Amino acid sequence: MRKILAITWKDLYTTFTDRNLILIMIVTPLALSTIIGSAFSGFIGGGGNDVPVRDIPIALVNLDQGGNANGQDVNYGQMFVDLLIPTRTNTSSPLLALTDATLLGNAAAARASVNSGSKSVAIIIPEDYTSSLTYSQDHPDVRVSPIEVYSSPAATISAGIVRSIVENITNTFLTGSVTVEATIEALIARAQDDPAFGLQFGVASASGSFQPDFAPAFQPDAAPITIEQQTVRGQAQTFNPLVFFGSAQALFFMTFTAIQGANSMLEERRDWTLQRLIASPTPRITILLGKLLGTWVTCIFQVTLLFIFLTLIGSLIAGELQLIWGSNLLAILAVIVAASLAMCGIGAVVAALARTPEQVNVVGGIIAIALGLFGGAFFNIQSIPQIAPISRLTPNYWGTDAFATLAAGQNDIGMNLVVLTVIGGVLFLAGLAIFNRRLSV
Amino acid sequence: MQTQIMVEVRDLTKTFKGKNGADIQAVKGISLDIRHGEIYSLLGPNGAGKTTTISMISGLLAPTRGDARIGGHSITKEPLQAKQLLGVVPQEIALYPTLSARQNLDFFGKMYGLSGSDLSRRVDEIVDFVDLRERQHDRIETFSGGMKRRVNIGVGLLNKPQLIYMDEPTVGIDPQNRRRVLDTVKRLQQEMGMTVLYTSHLMEEVQEISDRIAIIDHGEIIAEGTLGELIQQIGEEDRLTFKVGTQTVSETLLARFQREVEGVTSASYDRREIADEDSTALAHVDGVVTIMAKRGRKALPDLLRIADDAGLDVLSVEVREPDLEGVFLHLTGRALRD
Repeated sequence: MRKILAITWKDLYTTFTDRNLILIMIVTPLALSTIIGSAFSGFIGGGGNDVPVRDIPIALVNLDQGGNANGQDVNYGQMFVDLLIPTRTNTSSPLLALTDATLLGNAAAARASVNSGSKSVAIIIPEDYTSSLTYSQDHPDVRVSPIEVYSSPAATISAGIVRSIVENITNTFLTGSVTVEATIEALIARAQDDPAFGLQFGVASASGSFQPDFAPAFQPDAAPITIEQQTVRGQAQTFNPLVFFGSAQALFFMTFTAIQGANSMLEERRDWTLQRLIASPTPRITILLGKLLGTWVTCIFQVTLLFIFLTLIGSLIAGELQLIWGSNLLAILAVIVAASLAMCGIGAVVAALARTPEQVNVVGGIIAIALGLFGGAFFNIQSIPQIAPISRLTPNYWGTDAFATLAAGQNDIGMNLVVLTVIGGVLFLAGLAIFNRRLSV
Repeated sequence: MQTQIMVEVRDLTKTFKGKNGADIQAVKGISLDIRHGEIYSLLGPNGAGKTTTISMISGLLAPTRGDARIGGHSITKEPLQAKQLLGVVPQEIALYPTLSARQNLDFFGKMYGLSGSDLSRRVDEIVDFVDLRERQHDRIETFSGGMKRRVNIGVGLLNKPQLIYMDEPTVGIDPQNRRRVLDTVKRLQQEMGMTVLYTSHLMEEVQEISDRIAIIDHGEIIAEGTLGELIQQIGEEDRLTFKVGTQTVSETLLARFQREVEGVTSASYDRREIADEDSTALAHVDGVVTIMAKRGRKALPDLLRIADDAGLDVLSVEVREPDLEGVFLHLTGRALRD
């Protein structure tokens, strides 16, 4: 065991005292994940590391002619406008932070602003919007005239969000309208059935003391609009590019480290230090275990350091300490260990089958890039459903998925750990066996 | 009293698969004994099978057939016990270039089971022995070729081996460091009583340090013995070489050399075609007359006079006393350096 640890320590020392290797192992993935993460989030800052969706530029057109409900003039279109355009009484609606709406005079101008790219979405409220929403005994069939949401093809996310907002507000108006009408009808019916109550109701109405404020029924603030992405597990999850691309990049570069670590076996054979070890009274299996353990520990250190640095970057951006990988440190460590084992297994098999260090560099590079590509190191694989089945064959996917799950505050990573450990264990043992056979020639 | 045998090699054979799938026999049933405390050299041209042989003796390669015993331990059946007695100095600088000399010695010392104060003390001894105390904490990559060679030897001595094998340890170093290495080999034998298995393709080195020599060619030992015993195989004759350029030499003249000069046992003429280095075109022909003679220096004036009488213009003359080169030439018909 002491000899295994001596070999492992020697490999760790030579690796972590090599400035070029540190550059490749730590600095490069750190820079890349930060850049890619920033690019995918649009910008980072103000309110944490989750993708900030705010200030969606909207062109708003209100063509609503208004209507009369139970003797009162109403204009739901105007109420819609008041929710999106700041007024003296409306300065704190969450929609004001989410959107940046400008009121325009006609639909053509609004569409043109979207076409020109100055606005992402146009909302055009039709002339009969209020009347279509008004429910009464005279008008019992409610068929809401649709609001037109006109969007740029390049702004699918913003359009989706705005569409949700429009539906939410319209539903609120509709619910409020029906509720108020139903309440008044119920009061009138009771007054007819109960003369005493009818007298009180009539006096109160006549004196003006019965003036219920139904306004809250129409306020979306009563049921705040939330924007969430649902996972297949049915739990809310936010998409943090720094976590996703940080872990994907870490696993991508760890593949190189693992392959290079195993490749050091061939390099040592070329430089004759391996022969010198074999000529010493040290069993071959001890030498192999020491070398592969060194690679494994190097991978664990690499990812751990990367995660620490990315946490610091995320915290610096947010202005406060943020555990972007989640707070379950033990589970994070377990995923790092399992993912490192899987990558070491791949490295061991590649190096064991190759004849020269140069061959490992070429073949290993291709394998690492392929795994990174399908594992999500360069783009969000969820955006291309066609490659999802292939992605699941890579340890990169299972590792990245586990880190994203933990970052979202969930702990359902059992399957990820099993898959990574099985991949790593099987390939690690296979590489060990092939190496041992080759050294015995 | 029977001399103690340190290394006993029997029918050692190694066969590799060639690129076309055919078997290539690199070592062909070698058997030899190395006595305790002697310097035993394997001499042969590059590719003769020296490194393959010692790779099998040291357990780096598994023999296809046969076995080697070090201090009575079979390298195939008791490899760890056999290796405990063995120190290795490979031809390559088998060191970690980014580690210091001391870190290299520490690491390989641990591989031989040393630890703690024993390891530290042994490393100190080695650092002094190879005369690198001042540079012990410097990285190997900053060392000169000669200094690297010294550390390379030092690592082989860490376990105080009874047998140390040194594979061409003077390759690629300057004459001063070569001298130093050869002196070190002698000290290992004389001061520490080690048995040394030395391989080289340089006849002068082998002649200087060896107690016994095995000449190896095409995977076989073709001669074995002390320097004197080997030279006796070709007699006490000097070899005289006359370069004659493009001139031709008649059989008549060669016969006169043998007939008229005392001590001459043979005379032959050979034309060597020397190609231009930059092209395959024939540049010139170098004619060489080789004469074997007892007391060659004494015969030289008469030989030159006869050549002059025959109108042969001798361009240069070389006289070589009996040596391993002559033995190898005698046994194989080829020069050692070919």
